[in-house]
Amino acid sequence: MKRDKVINKILAVFFTILSLAWIYPMVMILMNSFKEETTITTSTAFDFVTSENSAGFANYIAALEKQGFLAAFGYSLVITITSVALILVCCSMCAWFIVRVKNRISNILYYLFVFSMVVPFQMLMFTLSNMANTLGFNTPFNICFIYLGFGAGLAVFMFAGFVKTIPLEIEEAATIDGCNPLQTFFHVVLPIMKPTYISVGILETMWVWNDYLLPYLVLDRTKYQTIPILIQYFRGGYGRVEMGPMFACIMMVIVPIVIMYLLCQRYIINGVISGAVKG
Amino acid sequence: MAEIVLKNIKKIYPNEKKSKSLFGKKTEQKKSNLEVTEEGVVAVQDFNLTIKEHEFVVLVGPSGCGKSTTLRMIAGLEDISAGELYIDGKLVNDVAPKDRDIAMVFQSYALYPNMTVYDNMAFTLKLKKVDPQVIDQKVRAAAETLGITAYLDRKPKALSGGQRQRVAIGRAIVRDPKVFLMDEPLSNLDAKLRNQMRTEIIKLRQKVDGTFVYVTHDQTEAMTLGDRIVIMKDGFVQQIGTPQEVFNRPANLFVAGFIGMPQMNFFNAHLIRVDNEFHVETENMSFEISPEMANLLAQSWVAAPATDVIVGIRPEQIYLTEPNGIGAFKGNLEVSELMGSTVHLHVHTEDGNFVLIVPATELAKRDLKIGDEVWFKFEDNAVHLFDKNTQDNLVKY
Repeated sequence: MKRDKVINKILAVFFTILSLAWIYPMVMILMNSFKEETTITTSTAFDFVTSENSAGFANYIAALEKQGFLAAFGYSLVITITSVALILVCCSMCAWFIVRVKNRISNILYYLFVFSMVVPFQMLMFTLSNMANTLGFNTPFNICFIYLGFGAGLAVFMFAGFVKTIPLEIEEAATIDGCNPLQTFFHVVLPIMKPTYISVGILETMWVWNDYLLPYLVLDRTKYQTIPILIQYFRGGYGRVEMGPMFACIMMVIVPIVIMYLLCQRYIINGVISGAVKG
Repeated sequence: MAEIVLKNIKKIYPNEKKSKSLFGKKTEQKKSNLEVTEEGVVAVQDFNLTIKEHEFVVLVGPSGCGKSTTLRMIAGLEDISAGELYIDGKLVNDVAPKDRDIAMVFQSYALYPNMTVYDNMAFTLKLKKVDPQVIDQKVRAAAETLGITAYLDRKPKALSGGQRQRVAIGRAIVRDPKVFLMDEPLSNLDAKLRNQMRTEIIKLRQKVDGTFVYVTHDQTEAMTLGDRIVIMKDGFVQQIGTPQEVFNRPANLFVAGFIGMPQMNFFNAHLIRVDNEFHVETENMSFEISPEMANLLAQSWVAAPATDVIVGIRPEQIYLTEPNGIGAFKGNLEVSELMGSTVHLHVHTEDGNFVLIVPATELAKRDLKIGDEVWFKFEDNAVHLFDKNTQDNLVKY
């Protein structure tokens, strides 16, 4: 017992150091986003914010005033909300079908979805960007369907895992009570799946919001930029980088997602477990 | 308020072909005695029954006998492979469950976890777009009947098993259906609560106007609740009759063994006919069949003068007697179980093991101990005789 306690203490110290190392870059960005440009690019980058090097909110204002920031924020928001909504609605219905209608097609469908998680994005990205261009999927509204395709694997897997835990009798009771399949889904199944909706929603939101590569490859960058793409435009000509505004921009982008994660992390863990164990 | 007619109802589950189930799990062959044909596994065979208006019919049998499948076919949750099902004179084979005017209570309650008790009960009426005032009135009336008014605002997870089952029954009542279908509604409750709910179902039945079809594997529930009992085994109906009929005149060995607690005692014997008199003989004893029963036997007798039979006798129809009496059996006491006012004695004889139910007072007088010699006799007209081959009752009532 005593030995276990010692091991636990050592592990606690180890993981504390590890998580500090993990959070350190974020803290650096946060600190430097409040500093003057000259103090960021020199060795004083590691200093704390003081009255001497503080730029106040100047960097944040500069970031906001940056050409296209609000538009990029808007596009990111539209893409994220639409994609996640599409993924949630389509994949939950699909998973319900796959679990409840047991036949060869549903089996094949399920394994296709699961298999799609195995294929790395990098394998498809060049053919995909060409195809998206040809088919006109290079707008912020159409890119959502591409996100639906890439997000479906994980979402269907997690939803299917959860649907398996819903007793069939509840749906049969709904049938006898007078529900058609759509009513059964929206009145009975969907409310029961709420925890999984939240966890899938959060995971997909974090992914779509932070995603750089897919919009970079697919979107027509002259017209549409998302936040992760915009950040790289803080690089000026001749390799000059506006570090202060860039850090401020990064902070503004990650804060909403971090808050969302902190509020809902309980559901993420529940949802992931139910998907993993029962799936 | 509806008559249900089941005509030659059959349920066949198609065989799953292994080659077809791509990626699918390998189908496990269930160890059951269900008939397997080319079309598939026959879960219910030629089920014929007419359930009269306001009747309470109980389907009873061991697991896998097809009783739940039959109920689900009446509900419309399973397709009917062959045969015709009429509710209130209307053929409903292809009618959707919601249009059959039925309500069902499930073993697992099947309450909607996201809705309050009130919403659970009101849900079906809301779907039918009934006036909210009428819904409120009906839900409160049903809640009053079942004593769950205090819980109307709670979610199902905040209720105990018994309360949940009441809500499930309430959900059925508010619909005012023609037919109530109940699929082992008390199986998830503990023994005490089960007895209590059983009484409540009997009371409910007097208050509610409807035809009841009730499925259970518990023969006590079947005996206490049913106007008529349908006993099933391996997809076949074994006997249909009132509780008294199936208890006193079992159609075959299975029914005799299934109904009654403790189980009927059975032993192998020879039945010998001399004119109109019948004797039962084993290697160690013999006794004469009472004249009343002999008459009945003679009427339906088709066998040879002597035939192999299985004799059945209920534990409560055996009584202790003095040693060496005429027609008395000898055995040794193996186990004695005190049940309160009665004692179950397990006696080993050379013809097999017997269970006797004896009043506790009588046992106290005799002062029997484990291993002691016990003499016992059968009551007149109490034995049941079954053909050893067909296992049918030799007396056709």
